[in-house]
Amino acid sequence: MKDASLYPELEDEILRLHQLVETVELKVPEETPPSSKQVKPLFRHFRRIDSCLQTRVAFRGSDEIFCRVYMPDHSYVTIRSRLSASVQDILAAVTEKLQYSEEQSAREEALALVVVASSGEKALLQPNEECVFTTLGINSHLFACTKDAIESLVPLPEEIQISPGDAEFHRVEAEEIANHMTAFHWELFRCVHELEFVDYVFHGERGRRETANLELLLQRCSEVQHWVATEILLCESLGKRAHLLKKFIKIAAICKQNQDMLSFYAMVMGLDNAAVSRLRLTWEKLPGKFKNLFRKFETLTDPCRNHKAYREVLSKMNPPLIPFVPLILKDLTFVHEGSKTLLDGLVNVEKLHAIAEKVRTIRKYRSRPLSLDLEASPSQLQTKAYVRQLQVIDNQNLLFELSYKLEASSQ
Amino acid sequence: MPEQSNDYRVVVFGAAGVGKSSLVLRFVRGTFRETYIPTIEDTYRQVISCDKNICTLQITDTTGSHQFPAMQRLSISKGHAFILVYSVTSRQSMEELQPIYDQICQIKGDIQKIPIMLVGNKSDETQRELDASEGEALASQWKCSFMETSAKMNYNVQELFQELLNLEKRRTVSLQVDGKKSKQQKKKDKLKGKCSVM
Repeated sequence: MKDASLYPELEDEILRLHQLVETVELKVPEETPPSSKQVKPLFRHFRRIDSCLQTRVAFRGSDEIFCRVYMPDHSYVTIRSRLSASVQDILAAVTEKLQYSEEQSAREEALALVVVASSGEKALLQPNEECVFTTLGINSHLFACTKDAIESLVPLPEEIQISPGDAEFHRVEAEEIANHMTAFHWELFRCVHELEFVDYVFHGERGRRETANLELLLQRCSEVQHWVATEILLCESLGKRAHLLKKFIKIAAICKQNQDMLSFYAMVMGLDNAAVSRLRLTWEKLPGKFKNLFRKFETLTDPCRNHKAYREVLSKMNPPLIPFVPLILKDLTFVHEGSKTLLDGLVNVEKLHAIAEKVRTIRKYRSRPLSLDLEASPSQLQTKAYVRQLQVIDNQNLLFELSYKLEASSQ
Repeated sequence: MPEQSNDYRVVVFGAAGVGKSSLVLRFVRGTFRETYIPTIEDTYRQVISCDKNICTLQITDTTGSHQFPAMQRLSISKGHAFILVYSVTSRQSMEELQPIYDQICQIKGDIQKIPIMLVGNKSDETQRELDASEGEALASQWKCSFMETSAKMNYNVQELFQELLNLEKRRTVSLQVDGKKSKQQKKKDKLKGKCSVM
């Protein structure tokens, strides 16, 4: 460790080494604190390595989580809150933290809670909105400020570092990554209660909306998409970038083999991101075999004729399988908004049958356990941790910027 | 203000309840709160100028419990200067600083260039378990600076942060305090560039 001062560039590596050592030397906790008192890891800063390696457990509205709430100058406070807390509750906790002294609190102007996306887009939340933590975009953050300060809110700077093409991801085999992705997504999928699908589409008409696990799965979908684009666009070397393209196509193929259509679809969409697909030189370097394979993948994910190609492939699969969840929600939404549930006090039974049928399909997909051969070796654990803690850029403008830097517009 | 690469990051560590948040809030806001609200992790930003450029002083107030080892490691890794706080009313709180100090050494390697300040807070309390001499002894063992403070009485708080910045030799960061500068400070300013809080 004394040598650390001689090699300042290795600081990052040392950090990672520490994390790896912690991973390998995992000890079973001597005493498990009562689950009611335990705070669940939701946001990235509060995830411990040991908890992220454990099998995912479903979130409940009553679970407590930690969350950072930012100020306009990017200072932040960390609050502890119920997952289902209302915006009002969140602001009360923030105000309490910021309370300078008792006299000043009376003078304080009412704070508003705003979601700021990495692109700079802002959304003001209403005081009675609930369960907002899981509705945030991947790199969106909560800001608390006075109403007049909303206009000038600036998003947080990107935390991600540009890698010259030597990131950890480059070293691991496609198959290992694909398997760990599928394993993780299976856990996430299983955490979603059947009713969450219904609640999501019916917008909580049954009562309080508790769709946290579904929202997290959707967020993960978006995360995988942006992961593909981010890794490629952060790779400055043309040769390594082309290699990455090949690797991602391989991973997508293996996911499809695993019947993990969520990863498959998301990855294809990521490769189809305009900032990636415009990298003509990079795509040209791809071997013919992979070019053809990708074209097949694009055909499979083509939305024409209501995703006919995808639906056909799916119908031939036996459980267990992970479906492309956004499409399920699209179908459910179509059924829900296509006809009224109640008409003159009469229940539209056919509509409810259609919804039930869809839910039964989801049940079928999960009716058999998924088993993948995954060892618990230190390097596999590292991959497992990596897959569960992806850092991505979701700011499309930034992705384009990176893309133009790699390959300037030709003609 | 967007984070710039010339941020100056100060991290405050110490056992639960020693007064880390009180010290930080007293410095940043000038106020003191009687009620105890355990911190998870808060960061305050303040614009200062150094070497005639604008830079941001970022003070991270950490948790006294040990819930987030990864976060602690990350703060140490990214931090430029450290304040280790104990309470003069609790011997245990001083003992709890040793593992933190060890971890800083482990992660940073060469700590000679890193400003570290050992702080004995709650100096206003009459029921002491620790004398200033014990703080000084530990500081000389660790080869770092030491002072006693009281966030409640606003004693030595400004001085704490000013002195911490003065210890920074890798670049010129400092605060201007009440326009009063020691002869030593004025001489230093003449030799380096002048810096002031905005």
